[in-house]
Amino acid sequence: MALLTLAPPSRAPALPRWLGLEGLVIGGAILALIVLVVLPVLSLVAASVWDKGLTGGFFVSALGSTANLRALGNSLILGAWTGLLSIAIGVPLAWAVSRTNVPAKGLIQLTATLSYLSPPFLTAIAFVNLFSPNAGVANVFLREVVGIDLGFNIFTMSGLVFVTVLHTFPFVYLLASSALQSVDASYEEAAQILGASKLRTALTITLPLVAPAVLSGTLLAFVNAIALFGSQAIIGLPGRIVTLPTRIYALFDYPPQYGVASALSLLFIAITVIALYLQRAFLARRSYVTLAGKGARPQLMDLGPWRWVLFAACVVAFFIAILLPYGTLIAVSFSKSWGLGFWQNLTLENYRFILVDYDVTRRAILNSLMLATIAATVCVVLGTVISWIDIRTRLPGRKLLDYAALIPLGLPGIVMAVALLQFWLKMPVALYGTFAILLLAYVGRYVPLGVRAANSSLRQIDPSLEEAAQILGASWGTRMKEITLPLIRPGLFAGWLLVFVPVIQELSASILLFSSESITLAVAVYNLYETGYTEPVAALAIVNMIIIAVAIGIARQFGGSRIGLKTGS
Amino acid sequence: MAGIQINNLSKFYGSKEGGAAVSGLNLDIKDNQFVTLLGPSGCGKTTTLRLIAGYVTPDAGTIRVGDRVVSSADAVAPPDKRGMGMVFQNYAVWPHKTVFENVVFGLKLRKVPAVEARRKVLDTLAMVNLAGLENRLPNELSGGQQQRVALARSLVVEPGILLLDEPLSNLDAKLREKMRVELKQLQRRTGITFVYVTHDQAEALALSDQIAVMHGGELQQYGSPDDVYRRPANKIVADFMGIVNFLPGTVEPASGAAAGGLVVAVDGVPVPAPVHGTFAPGQPVDLAVRPESVRLAGYGGEGRGAEAGRLSAVVTDMTYLGNLVEYWLQLDSGTALRAQTHPLERFSIGDRVGLSIDAADCSVFPRAAGAAH
Repeated sequence: MALLTLAPPSRAPALPRWLGLEGLVIGGAILALIVLVVLPVLSLVAASVWDKGLTGGFFVSALGSTANLRALGNSLILGAWTGLLSIAIGVPLAWAVSRTNVPAKGLIQLTATLSYLSPPFLTAIAFVNLFSPNAGVANVFLREVVGIDLGFNIFTMSGLVFVTVLHTFPFVYLLASSALQSVDASYEEAAQILGASKLRTALTITLPLVAPAVLSGTLLAFVNAIALFGSQAIIGLPGRIVTLPTRIYALFDYPPQYGVASALSLLFIAITVIALYLQRAFLARRSYVTLAGKGARPQLMDLGPWRWVLFAACVVAFFIAILLPYGTLIAVSFSKSWGLGFWQNLTLENYRFILVDYDVTRRAILNSLMLATIAATVCVVLGTVISWIDIRTRLPGRKLLDYAALIPLGLPGIVMAVALLQFWLKMPVALYGTFAILLLAYVGRYVPLGVRAANSSLRQIDPSLEEAAQILGASWGTRMKEITLPLIRPGLFAGWLLVFVPVIQELSASILLFSSESITLAVAVYNLYETGYTEPVAALAIVNMIIIAVAIGIARQFGGSRIGLKTGS
Repeated sequence: MAGIQINNLSKFYGSKEGGAAVSGLNLDIKDNQFVTLLGPSGCGKTTTLRLIAGYVTPDAGTIRVGDRVVSSADAVAPPDKRGMGMVFQNYAVWPHKTVFENVVFGLKLRKVPAVEARRKVLDTLAMVNLAGLENRLPNELSGGQQQRVALARSLVVEPGILLLDEPLSNLDAKLREKMRVELKQLQRRTGITFVYVTHDQAEALALSDQIAVMHGGELQQYGSPDDVYRRPANKIVADFMGIVNFLPGTVEPASGAAAGGLVVAVDGVPVPAPVHGTFAPGQPVDLAVRPESVRLAGYGGEGRGAEAGRLSAVVTDMTYLGNLVEYWLQLDSGTALRAQTHPLERFSIGDRVGLSIDAADCSVFPRAAGAAH
């Protein structure tokens, strides 16, 4: 049964039969990445230095105006405080879970996961409902019922940092706890047998081993914190705290200052890229020392009665990060008018309004569902092809492709939007205000998550599994369909979820790109909030969270048991 | 069924000057033979196998199967068009398919009707002693069973050529022995040409019709197991095929073709040796002697070996191995050597023993620098 046929001569031995299915898919993925990421970023660069000729004027005004400099300063302050506080919350929690006998570890894990999933602009809205200086229910309650006016004001830098930390501390928590769990117990035992005390061991052995992971988590927290448009607009703008995303957004008010916005965007990219570069460097160092493999599990420290103190701290964290904001949102969503006297005030009217009566929110929900489904699917497909090229082929330049797919990590949402606007406004196709440009923004922004999910799954599949099918006569398409895709399916579903969840609540890029036809869920929430519809906003927020919960349920169902939320980002 | 002709095959990795994974390989694999590519890791044997399979494109040279060129520097028939079979070192049994689904895969691709395919799969599973396990998933099987699934999957499509990449290296010693016998029988029964890669010389000797010993990307010797073991082409082969002693000596002037052999003076004592190659009288050489070709005898005590015209040595260490005893010896010149004898002959550390060397089973190699290549 020897089926010997000779392939037509090919100039590029790395890519035989390049016109086959394999070639078309690879070519398509490369083209997609260029259109999605490379060209918009290049046009952003061009727009920042080109105004009927090469000019440095945009950078001069970007760095010359006090408004811009103040925005830059505020962003850095916000990022720094958020990073520090993320350590202060994330590391003790991580230590408690991985190294002590604290009770209810599941609660801590749940707190971290839910905090990570919660859209920060919803948390921001929840806390505005509680702590805005006049109408905030907590302030009203203290003033009118308890009789003391503590005058909490959420519209401050502290308020902004507080709300942001609730979203970013899981980055530190997740990286630190996985590092703490992977430190081989024998390292610590070796120090103890030599006579080091527990404290000394912790300070001289454990801490240095996990420090890179903690730093890396902190930098991720920093990068994420400064990129959040929603919370910075909701809390920052009433308190006149302008940050980079809100400043760039303001530059698009009439008359739009594209050049300055581009220059400021590039500055924003530079900060993000530097932080991410450091983060990767720290994480790379981590892999030298820990992860020794199948060492003994670390011994859990018996805290005695102190574990109840730690437990109380964990419960407080759960209360503040989850119960308080969601309890508030749920309560607001069922209120005729938010305030004291909640039980006299119950109604389902808000849900009817956003789901039935008001066509904008109805449309926004459907739009977001559709966009998130398509974007997640495209990201996973694209990610699979790109990482397959990287791992399984010897295509020249495949590393470049891999790097290109990482670029969006360095692009805050609003910067992605500016880049897409710059690029597509110059193109002969009218994309502005369409679904297409939102889809491009989402896919472009989140394709790294698709690549990463596919990459880690593919690496676990030995190439010989594909080769075994090939030698039996299976074409490329058959190998993908029969062997590779079924094997990486659980990882792909996890990746799909990883894209779907942030896209459903995407605000930073959407806010510049939507039109009344293509309005999305997060934009609708923001617009309703801006116009003062407090109660329907809360209802919409709850709908948002229900959609996310359902998506997680469905993805678990289809993806098999292996799906869990990824640690790290 | 088909043979494989490999002509002047080369594959470079990285820069062309730097790494040659395979260079200038010529190999003629006859139909129905069990041929082993043998060598240490990095010798190019696996690359050669992957070149034959078509996973790797050669930089020079050709591979023919029957009368067709399947690989050359500018055209390669992809693996899926070669109709070969391959068994991988890690088995590569698909974990998401049952045993039956694994084995039937190739038949489905060949559009074999379901009823016939089922019969063939069950027959093949019976042949590899897996009858009754067809509905299991791979993670419910032992390593040896997974290996049989991999074999069955390759055999069921009746390939003319079966490639095996260290298929036994992940099995424990007992199972390896058993599978070794089964593989040999399978090859005889099916008449498929087996190309087998291993670094285990005992495995190669036990299984093969022909062994290709490779080192540094080059073919060192291609011959029967007896050839490569008893008549190694060079020191590398002699060294790789098992324990060997290299005894320094010089070619005696008197020795010549007339005697049908060569005489090498070791420690001043003339030792007869077989000729392959040309040697000049007085040339420094190494005499390669396997430990089992060294015979030991009690020594009378009549002075140093050279004076008595007889090799002698002192026992410096010994290891009891059960079926034989291994002695570490030191010749009078200081040269160390190993000998293996039947456990009935016993000597103690410190004993002086007389040595004799089986002329037929040793080889002579020039000792000049670079002579090894």
